Amino acid sequence: MSSVVELRDVTKVYRLGSVEVRALRGVRLQIEPGEFVAIMGPSGSGKSTLLNIVGCLDRPTDGAYLLEGQDTRYLSDDALSEVRNRKVGFVFQTFNLLPRLTALQNVELPLLYAGVPRAERRRRAAELLARVGLADRLYHRPRELSGGQQQRVAVARALANHPAIVLADEPTGNLDSRSGEEVLALFQELNQAGVTIALVTHDREVAEHARRIVTLRDGRVVRDEPVGSPRDAREVLRQMPGEPEGP
Amino acid sequence: MGLLEALRVALEALRANPLRSVLTTLGVVIGVAAVITLVSVGQAARSRVVGEFASLGPDLLWVLPGKAEEGQQFATQEGRFTLTFSDAQAIQREARAVAAVAPWLQTSIEVTGGGRREVTTVIGTTPSYLQVRALRLQLGRFLSEADEEQRKRVVVLGPTLARRLFRAPELALGRRVVINGRAFEVVGAVHPQGQVLGVDLDDRAYIPFSTAQLLFSVNYASFLFVKAQDTASVLRAQREVERVLRREHGEEDFTVLTQSQFLGALDAILRVLTVALSSIAAVSLVVGGIGIMNIMLVSVTERTREIGIRKAVGAKRWDILAQFLVEAVVISLVGGVLGMGLGLVASWAIAARLLDQSPTAAAALPVVVLAFSFSVLVGVAFGVYPAWRAARLDPIEALRYE
Repeated sequence: MSSVVELRDVTKVYRLGSVEVRALRGVRLQIEPGEFVAIMGPSGSGKSTLLNIVGCLDRPTDGAYLLEGQDTRYLSDDALSEVRNRKVGFVFQTFNLLPRLTALQNVELPLLYAGVPRAERRRRAAELLARVGLADRLYHRPRELSGGQQQRVAVARALANHPAIVLADEPTGNLDSRSGEEVLALFQELNQAGVTIALVTHDREVAEHARRIVTLRDGRVVRDEPVGSPRDAREVLRQMPGEPEGP
Repeated sequence: MGLLEALRVALEALRANPLRSVLTTLGVVIGVAAVITLVSVGQAARSRVVGEFASLGPDLLWVLPGKAEEGQQFATQEGRFTLTFSDAQAIQREARAVAAVAPWLQTSIEVTGGGRREVTTVIGTTPSYLQVRALRLQLGRFLSEADEEQRKRVVVLGPTLARRLFRAPELALGRRVVINGRAFEVVGAVHPQGQVLGVDLDDRAYIPFSTAQLLFSVNYASFLFVKAQDTASVLRAQREVERVLRREHGEEDFTVLTQSQFLGALDAILRVLTVALSSIAAVSLVVGGIGIMNIMLVSVTERTREIGIRKAVGAKRWDILAQFLVEAVVISLVGGVLGMGLGLVASWAIAARLLDQSPTAAAALPVVVLAFSFSVLVGVAFGVYPAWRAARLDPIEALRYE
């Protein structure tokens, strides 16, 4: 079986006016099915650029990126949309839910663009929301939900089309520590169930929930190491003071 | 994403901004209503006027002063005074395909009678006018040959004028009417003829042609009415009239039109008028379209982040394009339907009031179809650019947008 993600000497050069920004300078990276990888690095290290390329929001300037063995470099915009739809699930720092839609409709969105019939969409979205513990919040709109709940809706949305990889960009950045920990617990749970996850963060403690940490600096991978004993989010939650959130 | 889904998304977006959606729709409503009203009223007026003239009979000819230019039916204003009473006599005498000739001299003037003053149309003509126009007498008599020869001051009233001055045609008979300082005796009243474009054909006074020339100090006729022997001899009558007048005048300073030529010319003029009016109305529809485009551009900017999210989870360019295009078309379509209703009601009201016509005659199906498809076209035309802008947004940029 091929790697989920394979980057071969990927470079990315932006032009900002007359200035050339070399965001990635030859990144080699492989992520295998079932991995939980944290990508770390200070701001400006190229984390976001890397995530955009892995998520098929962007194409490399040079080098090759293979997603489940498929080279994405020469895909059209629409083909990239299709790849994102089928193979990538995004979880953003700011949740990025559509405010006018209910939780159910938000989770249905990737299924809508995949052409899944309405009734089937409903059923699968409700199932996914139940899986992230929001079975009783199907018809709430994002502003009626707490930050942690919103992020769990986003996770459900990311899982909608059974993606090859879930990409999380600072998913705990806008959450209090308990809610953040709960989202990380959810990631660990999903990973144990076989979901491949790549998580971008600048926070060492968050990164240590993963089983492998890749560190970027100035557009290059400077360290790539397994985590001996990942932090167990459930355990961290148990040691936290106060009542756990939610039902 | 199917069109049904796009429609659902579009309706959702329109519901999110009700006031904005209603105001944008209003622009289209006004545009479509204006087009429908003007076109259908124009058409109704045209058919009414043309029908009115057609009802005079296919055996009628008009002799107009001045020679029409090549390719035109009507002469320019020069040569307005080239027709005379003796022309009418010559035609009557010599043109054998002609049944009757009536000269016509028309003035708008104030008349008094029965203690009242009214501005009306005074027409100088001969007894044969009755036959030429197939006019029926309601009571009394029409102008006679003796009136004409002796330049008698007698007058035949249209029913409206008779009613205005004397309350009823029956009460007018034998009374006096003063026209231009001279007293005339009322000898008869004609049957009602109705209205054309708000002009009351019964608000008229007929006096002998010779008396009219004397009264207004002129020696010409505005034009001549000629009636052919029958429908088959119309063209022969036209040739004969032309031959007689050419000989009488020594030059061709007149124009003879048959009923169908006259109707064709009239119809052409009215059609140009209708098209011109509805083009002006169409401008308002374009303005409505610009309103749609404006609001759609605002909407695209406001929803940049939404577009980014949708693209990130797999929306293709077509999906985004369809979403915004359908939104624009929904606005214009709803506006089109409402505008159509408003336009039909308005044109019915106008047709019923101004043209004295039954409402259904004004409802022209082609116009409705045209305005409807035009409004959809406006939605597409003015929605495409904002939708295209939305569709080609870079998802990374769009997600970063605050």
